[in-house]
Amino acid sequence: MTLRRAATILLLLMPGLGLILALIGAVVYIAVAQSFGLYSLMGESAFSLAFWSDTMGKKAFDKAVRYSIYVGVLSAIFSVILAYPLAIWLRKPFAGSVTIGAVLKAPLLVHGLVAAFLYINIISYNGLLNQVMQGLGIWDGPKRLQNDRNAIGVLILQTWKNMPFALLLLTGAVQAISDDVLDAARDLGAGSWARFRKVIAPLTVSGLQAAMVIIFIGALADFSFQTIAGPTNRQSLAQLMVNFKGRGDWHSAAVVGVSMMAIALIGSALLAVAARMIMRGRLK
Amino acid sequence: MGAIRISGVTKSFGEFQALSSISLEVAQGEFVTLLGPSGCGKTTLLKIISGFIEPTDGQIEIGGENVTRLPPEQRDTALCFQSYALFPHLTVRENLEFGLRQKKLGRDEIASRVRDVSTKLELAAQMDKLPNQLSGGQQQRVSLGRALVMRPSVILFDEPLSNLDAKLRDQVRIEIRRIQKDYDLTAIYVTHDQAEALAMSDRVVVLNQGRAEQIDTPERLYAAPATSFVADFIGSANVMEGTVLSADGAGLCTVETPIGVLEAKDAGVPPGAIRRLSWRPEKAQIGEPGLTATVTHRAFQGHFTDLTVDTGGTLYRVQTGRDDIREGDGITFALRPADIVFLEAVG
Ligand SMILES: Nc1ncnc2c1ncn2[C@@H]1O[C@H](COP(=O)(O)OP(=O)(O)O)[C@@H](O)[C@H]1O
Ligand SMILES: [Mg+2]
Repeated sequence: MTLRRAATILLLLMPGLGLILALIGAVVYIAVAQSFGLYSLMGESAFSLAFWSDTMGKKAFDKAVRYSIYVGVLSAIFSVILAYPLAIWLRKPFAGSVTIGAVLKAPLLVHGLVAAFLYINIISYNGLLNQVMQGLGIWDGPKRLQNDRNAIGVLILQTWKNMPFALLLLTGAVQAISDDVLDAARDLGAGSWARFRKVIAPLTVSGLQAAMVIIFIGALADFSFQTIAGPTNRQSLAQLMVNFKGRGDWHSAAVVGVSMMAIALIGSALLAVAARMIMRGRLK
Repeated sequence: MGAIRISGVTKSFGEFQALSSISLEVAQGEFVTLLGPSGCGKTTLLKIISGFIEPTDGQIEIGGENVTRLPPEQRDTALCFQSYALFPHLTVRENLEFGLRQKKLGRDEIASRVRDVSTKLELAAQMDKLPNQLSGGQQQRVSLGRALVMRPSVILFDEPLSNLDAKLRDQVRIEIRRIQKDYDLTAIYVTHDQAEALAMSDRVVVLNQGRAEQIDTPERLYAAPATSFVADFIGSANVMEGTVLSADGAGLCTVETPIGVLEAKDAGVPPGAIRRLSWRPEKAQIGEPGLTATVTHRAFQGHFTDLTVDTGGTLYRVQTGRDDIREGDGITFALRPADIVFLEAVG
């Protein structure tokens, strides 16, 4: 009976899950195999650890790993930090709240590249920001803001693009908390911060984890924002991968790709655990 | 001191007036019920007392202090929600401790208060469970316990029994009253169930469309309703119109009603005045000569029988201990002067 049940469930899941697993599996398999010198697109295929040891020994790789993690983690954190208060503010409908919600979600509809070019235009040497700041007398002369070393431009773009997504997930999570539960906390003496820490945060942690993980993975693998607005003295993992590929070094590109997947996986798990620990902190 | 003074509290939601100038004083240790049909403003008044809603006009004093503008987290009141509103992510113990930790009480104090309440409410075995692992009755007790550990000056209940089955309801009703007396709490209790209100309360406020129709003890509300709304809402009294004909100067007067000319106690109503009158179904003296009626419906209730009777084309409810009356029977009954209550004027 249980065997039959398990088989039924498996069969029902097959069309969806099977396809996903087959596609992901194929990609992961090819990438891993290529990183070990197999499935060579040009030349001989032979198993080798050389690509891993060569690539991992490169300073550019080390820098790319640290840089991509930096962008991934900070983008995820900034996005949810901005999204939380908005989600709580928009929890209960009020006059204009639907419009505000729609406007806030607009970045989801704008392609990242378009946003990046717009952003570059605004901060360029003769751009709007420089003109305004000089006009107001705050800055003496124009400043070079493009491709800054700390990737603030990339972080702004990532946050701008991803905050609406975090907002979408967190709004759902926050709206699922009943008014009575929040009122009960208030009645028992909890002010707004205590209500957030002790009720809203622990009850929305799943939405928070989902938002952080998905934003982290996306920002970790960023290519377009980095190419347009990122610092020029370092590369993101995606950039590095494309670089290797451009030189015809598919095996080293695969090493970077596999590393990126591994970092995404481990990083996501760590972020999720950290978020849970911080947000679920039992009352002490 | 837990006395509450509500003075002229009015609440409008836009055009809609949910409460109209409610005034009420509740003494320390008193158990007062807000009774009325759904939508009459009971929850609104409770939320004004607890601070979740700010009144449009009027003021609330608790223990002599004006709290009208104080937010709920700073008021010494505790509210028991109809939905229980337990924190779903916290265990029973953590739910009970929540308010005490907010108050920053010492560890020992918290432990002893929680132990005290959990023993009283028989929750000791459930302390490490999450709310969704409890039965409805147990959740209700946790919600009650969470309010009780706070030892508030005022405890407020919003229809706390409406999600329980009938048997449990009677049991918890007694429990609530016992605990309220044990801790000498001042309580305001909201219900739409008149039997619950009569059974539990020291005094009852009957609300109708945002107005207090009558504020009185259960006994007085039953024996001397002030308006036809109260007479009907509490115990489904028969209400009819009558014109006072004359008073005999010896405490009795005659009244012309749709069922005939009746004698009533003289309530100082001048002859010629048209008033609403009420009488209780169980006060009909069945078998006595006087009024004649035909039984149109009979419902046996165990210790009495409910009859609907047709008197001159109008239907009234009467109750009797006799079980030999059948539908279609003709009966006679009389009403004693003392059992006829004058209500509000007509028109
Ligand atoms: N926030 C609100 N906005 C508009 N109308 C409200 C609001 N809250 C309550 N009301 C109205 O006020 C009336 C009284 O509501 P309530 O106090 O909840 O009634 P009860 O608890 O007696 O059933 C109802 O007609 C309800 O629709
Ligand atoms: Mg209500």
